[in-house]
Amino acid sequence: MTTQFKLHNIIKRYGSRTVLDIDQLALPEGRIYTIMGPNGSGKSTLLRIMALLLINDEGELEVLGEKVSWEKEQLLHLRRQMSMVTQTAFMFQGSVDYNVAYGLKVRKMNSRLIRERVNEMLEMAGMSAYREADARTLSGGERQKAALARAMAVNPRVLFLDEPTSNIDMASAAEIEKYIRTINKEQGTTIILVTHNLFQARRLADEVIFIYDGRIIERGSAESIFDDPRDQRTLAFLHGDAVMQ
Amino acid sequence: MNIFVEGIKEGVYLIWQMDPEIIQITLLSLQVSLTALVLSAVFGIPAGAALALKRIPGKRIYLNIIYTLMGLPPVLAGLLVYLLLTYRGPLGQFELLFTPSAMVFAQVLLAAPIVCGLTARAVMALPQDVYDTAATLGASRRQAAAAIMREARIGIVAALTTAFGRVIAEVGAVMLVGGNIRWSTRVLTMSIVLETRMGNFSTAIAIGLILLTLSFIINLLILKLEKRTLRYDNTIQIT
Repeated sequence: MTTQFKLHNIIKRYGSRTVLDIDQLALPEGRIYTIMGPNGSGKSTLLRIMALLLINDEGELEVLGEKVSWEKEQLLHLRRQMSMVTQTAFMFQGSVDYNVAYGLKVRKMNSRLIRERVNEMLEMAGMSAYREADARTLSGGERQKAALARAMAVNPRVLFLDEPTSNIDMASAAEIEKYIRTINKEQGTTIILVTHNLFQARRLADEVIFIYDGRIIERGSAESIFDDPRDQRTLAFLHGDAVMQ
Repeated sequence: MNIFVEGIKEGVYLIWQMDPEIIQITLLSLQVSLTALVLSAVFGIPAGAALALKRIPGKRIYLNIIYTLMGLPPVLAGLLVYLLLTYRGPLGQFELLFTPSAMVFAQVLLAAPIVCGLTARAVMALPQDVYDTAATLGASRRQAAAAIMREARIGIVAALTTAFGRVIAEVGAVMLVGGNIRWSTRVLTMSIVLETRMGNFSTAIAIGLILLTLSFIINLLILKLEKRTLRYDNTIQIT
């Protein structure tokens, strides 16, 4: 199994405050990883660094077998193998069709192929009926499904999900979870998911990475983390206790 | 009240008559203002986008300067252009003073900061999500910048309509550098001033009416263009 992400002594600071300090992290491909931790622990910062949206201040980052130099040609080449869905699932002005086709258009794909791929993705996400709808009038759940279809249209090797179901109802969240599992199992896409939802993490994750105060304090299979956490801070988080400095 | 009615009647009559001088003045107004608008857009939109998106040292100072220039008094703009183009000025050799080109020059000085400043504002008002979404979907920097400009287009159209309003209604600067020469540099606003000074109030109102109609049509076209690119009604619905 190829390792898709290798982080070595990665540090990110905002001013004098260190928000992320990762000694070592290696993520093999094809699995579902869940990054968990309290608010402000650095989960989204870690995700954004791995998604190449945020530059680390120190350390070495290796993505999809390449040491990241942050040169724009390399960034484009690597980013075109990954995609992301965030909590807000920002939609461009225009139809659902325009949004789902965007990633294919920037790759200058043939318009017939774009049409076929968009159809396929909308069908997979159960969003075919919304093809011509204004993307900004979708409900929370529909918006997330459209965003997932858009992210998957480019056939990424890695899909980053930052709290993708935190603003939607349980039924929509269940549909999205099902979709995420299908993507992972059928296409082998690596999923890196940030979530606060313990049940969702347990349902989806092959592996859980627990972050506290910018550091990885525990990593393991979902069962081991949830049933037998070794760190007191993980235990406190899982029990819903306030995790204080 | 009668004078307004007379003015409107005369305006309709002037348009109906296709008075050659009025047509020439109207076409020149249109030519000068639209050329100034196009040039302001060519310089102002990329400059505004760069100001909003690039990491430029002293960005706030530049923005402050642009915002200040958005309120540049037309007479001062006219004076600056006059001094540049006058026979002894640095650009005097081109003999542009009292030509439509000088008028365009002055109007660009007035309109470009508006286009630049409002474009910068429209882009800066967008969330980081626009770039992040484009980038994570595989857009190059240029493609992501295009996506950002597309998202900001309502603001950019607002910048263009504001700038057009500024140039079409402007009289101080064009009078200084154009000279109000009949059949050469006289535009609608100058004619209003001239007719008012001569006591021909109804003719002045009539020309004003033509000016407003022209402005209405141009803005309609700009909004049509916006509507074509914006299929969906983005207005806030208040019930």
